[in-house]
Amino acid sequence: MAAADIPSAALRHHDLCSRGIRLARKMRSDVTDLLDIYVERQGLDASISVAAVDGVPAAAAERWAEQSGTQRLLDNLAAYRAFRTLLAQMLEEQREQLGDADAELGPALAAVLLQVSAFAYHLEELLELESRGAPAEEGSEPPAPPRLSLFEQKLRGLGVLRELAQWAVRSVRDLRQLAKHGPGTTLEGSGTALGLPESQ
Amino acid sequence: AQRHSQQDSHIQYERVGADVTMKCGSMDWDAAVTWTANGTDIDDSHLNGSYLILKNVDLTQSGQYSCYEGSSWHLKYQTNLRVGVPPKEPVLMCRSNNYPKGFYCSWHLPSPTYIPNSFNISVIHGTREMVCEKDIFPKNRCHIRYLQLFSTVKYKVTLTVTNALGKNSTTLTFDEFAIVKPDPPESVVAKPVPNNPRRLEVSWQNPSSWPDPESFPLKFFLRYRPLILDQWQHVELSDGTSHTITDAYAGKEYIIQVAAKDNDIGTWSDWSVAVHATPWTEEPKHLTTEIQIIGETLTQHKPLALRGPGYGDPSAGGVW
Repeated sequence: MAAADIPSAALRHHDLCSRGIRLARKMRSDVTDLLDIYVERQGLDASISVAAVDGVPAAAAERWAEQSGTQRLLDNLAAYRAFRTLLAQMLEEQREQLGDADAELGPALAAVLLQVSAFAYHLEELLELESRGAPAEEGSEPPAPPRLSLFEQKLRGLGVLRELAQWAVRSVRDLRQLAKHGPGTTLEGSGTALGLPESQ
Repeated sequence: AQRHSQQDSHIQYERVGADVTMKCGSMDWDAAVTWTANGTDIDDSHLNGSYLILKNVDLTQSGQYSCYEGSSWHLKYQTNLRVGVPPKEPVLMCRSNNYPKGFYCSWHLPSPTYIPNSFNISVIHGTREMVCEKDIFPKNRCHIRYLQLFSTVKYKVTLTVTNALGKNSTTLTFDEFAIVKPDPPESVVAKPVPNNPRRLEVSWQNPSSWPDPESFPLKFFLRYRPLILDQWQHVELSDGTSHTITDAYAGKEYIIQVAAKDNDIGTWSDWSVAVHATPWTEEPKHLTTEIQIIGETLTQHKPLALRGPGYGDPSAGGVW
């Protein structure tokens, strides 16, 4: 990266981070609303515990504070690519179950799917800026969803949305950490901290 | 006669309202004995042979009970009676005021038991048991360090309280985000803004217990009202630790408080300490002019020696 490019890369990085934070916070708010609709539409108990669901990226992170910027981006990108597939499957299942009769759950699911796709693309841009490039997507065809009973399908969907809501919060924190350290810093604590104006 | 005390007394716990029978050690039922409570002889109405009978005991009957053999005054039996009650369900509260470092749990009993209690707390996260490190102060509190962040797995905290008369427990189940509640903002300061009769400048600091405000920024809620009114006015601020109130009633004393919340999760803190301030007000003009005139008159008739710097000297603009 030429010397003249550094300030513009830093500005671009800062812009991508703050836009990413806003997108993630909006996504979280919409996923939270979607969860309420989903629980009600699917006749589930909101307090029901859902064990870890295979194929759903867990947001839980150990030693989160020690992660490098690039690692954060890679983890986020892998997760949102997985959610893109999972939400598409859920949308398909929902159409099979409820058809067009449902004017709320389907559109809400589709809207969140759109945001997840947009956020994945956003992460790819950030990775490009890290002069690292986003990893290619594994294989063209996503894995076929497991054969589940209707109730298991509903539980799985709940697990997906709950994890996505947690990921949205994690992504906000990850992007704040990234914004603190500027582009191209793989180690925590280095680089200049760019104060991020928080906008609602 | 000298009473001989050589027996180690043990502690005997009994419930309020219980009937208590004490045997005088190995003495026969019909042996002649004397019972004392805290050194005071107990009259025979409480005795059944050599047995001491205490009916429907209450808290005041806690104390040291001793039995002496009639003739030799040898101490044959001694016990410390502690009257109390089994513990009720304890009140347990868990909260994270230093997210993302960890959270603490604190507890108390809704009513006293009058006898010693022991507390045991277990914290389970999924399949993992976590250590709750007891705080030296305050007593009934311990803290847990997060091993994982952003987990959808709930935390389950069980507190068991045990004493000699019984046992009780409480369990809390919660999500990581739900218990995040910062401490109130600190160092709240409110000041008038010179030449602005309707403004007040308020500033505060992040609670010192919040470890990383940069990565985990707080947003704030400011409430203010003139003392003469009950209705608060509110304003939410998503960043920064200061705000200028621009719609204050001129000349009215205001009370101001601030609360804090993590930008993305959890609940609002309690309100900060209240501060008071009154907007800037202009000096009353008529008083000023009179004082100036009196000043000038005095200066003209005063002997020269008495005139000092700034003493009524208009050029100094000295107005007192």
